[in-house]
Amino acid sequence: MRGSILILTRIALLAAVLLAWQVLPASGIVNPVLLPPLSEVLRALGDILQRASVHQAIAVTSAEVIVAFLIAVPLGGALGVLSAENEYFGAIFRPMLFYVFSIPKSIFLPLFILAFGIGFPQKVAYATFSTVFIVIMSASAAVESVKAEHLLVAQSYGATRAQILRRVYVPSMMPILLETLRISMIFNFTGVMIAEMYASRAGIGRLIADWGENFEMPQLFAGVILLAVAAIAFNEAVRALEARCSTWRT
Amino acid sequence: MQHVADMTIFRGQALRPAVEVRGLSHVYAGRDGAVPALADIDLTVPAGKFVVIVGPSGCGKTSLLMMLAGLRAPTSGSILCDGRPIPSPDPSRVGVVFQEASLYPWLTAIDNVEFPLALKHAPRDERRSRAEAMLKLVGLEGFGGRYPHELSGGMKQRVSIARGLVQDPPVLLMDEPFAALDEQTRMTMGQELLRIWSQTSKTVVFITHSLTEAVYLADEVVVMSARPGRILDRVTVDLPRPRTYQMMATDVFGQLRERIWQQIRSAP
Repeated sequence: MRGSILILTRIALLAAVLLAWQVLPASGIVNPVLLPPLSEVLRALGDILQRASVHQAIAVTSAEVIVAFLIAVPLGGALGVLSAENEYFGAIFRPMLFYVFSIPKSIFLPLFILAFGIGFPQKVAYATFSTVFIVIMSASAAVESVKAEHLLVAQSYGATRAQILRRVYVPSMMPILLETLRISMIFNFTGVMIAEMYASRAGIGRLIADWGENFEMPQLFAGVILLAVAAIAFNEAVRALEARCSTWRT
Repeated sequence: MQHVADMTIFRGQALRPAVEVRGLSHVYAGRDGAVPALADIDLTVPAGKFVVIVGPSGCGKTSLLMMLAGLRAPTSGSILCDGRPIPSPDPSRVGVVFQEASLYPWLTAIDNVEFPLALKHAPRDERRSRAEAMLKLVGLEGFGGRYPHELSGGMKQRVSIARGLVQDPPVLLMDEPFAALDEQTRMTMGQELLRIWSQTSKTVVFITHSLTEAVYLADEVVVMSARPGRILDRVTVDLPRPRTYQMMATDVFGQLRERIWQQIRSAP
């Protein structure tokens, strides 16, 4: 009962925000040039989704996001596991990783442009760079979350290394790994967007920057909605997976 | 005559020690060089006996248990488990029950019990029926589908015992299995363990800090010294079985407890 009231309240709140978005600009209380009414934004969204240029931009951005994700997650994962498992490697690299992690990655963007240009490789390289550190940290935390007594039990029952990996390491690490996937996608997506908006010839980030510069506010907001929906969809999908694992999470 | 000869062979096997430790010493590499952990351990545990090891913290009890389980190799000396050396873990000969929290939280109780069988790729039906029989033995029939976080501390240790017994090893090693339980649960679990032991006729080597628990459970209490761990005394507990809570109030119980306490206290 309390749960359903909570959900109803959320829906009501969302409806109120959307209603305000419609009414306030339409009635002139908020400047409609800066914030176009929702109906206009939705019309613009329908319109831009018809455009071939937007389809192409979506394809480019998706490819950048996916490729960067596929590089950053396994790379960061491997380095994270290595730094947690190998004492020597960890002792050398972990302080450095912490230092670099604390630096805002966007200040390196000009370097990436000089090194890779402003095309696809630069977007992937920069997004990988902005994602890989959080993956390294989380993966090493995931390894450290494996309990020594759980390993000992498996050994005492004669488990092989492969069995220990599959039956103890993987399930122990799973909750943190899923969270890592989710968070790394946030970093990754942000990286691609910043790189596109800063300097590029293609991609949704480029279009949004253009719409902003040209004062095409309905299109700009339509683009924002599009990206928000994509980001939330991925996040919630992984969260649903996490929830399935969290029944036993201590 | 033939018949008598057969009997002798049979009895000879029955009397073969379940665990035999000869001249065992262990030194491990510590921060400041070699640390002697165990010295000159000789220990014979006859089959079917319940032996409890007590001693101060850090006396190497757990190390000794690890070696009996084949998880660690001693620096010198020999260990025979069920008549053969144990260079690596062999769950068909030795089952181990650890301290708290050794169940896998992502597996249900019955999957935890099946875990050792799953490692051996035992057929699914056999695994299930074996695990169910073990859960029944430890008094957890019908709780197989619960996850560890849905079980009380005592129930979790029952699952651990079921897991230790699932491959029917002749020897069960227990490393302070009830240390994290409250006093009442601990007493109940001691009683339950004795019931399970008498039903399965296993050999049990049990480590504890509690002298009351030691005297209550044991056929024999092995008293160890501080590091490097040596065997100071072996106290035979000839209280009748089945043991009852009332025995704890008797003079014999108190004297045995006192004798062990004096050994531990006066040790260098």
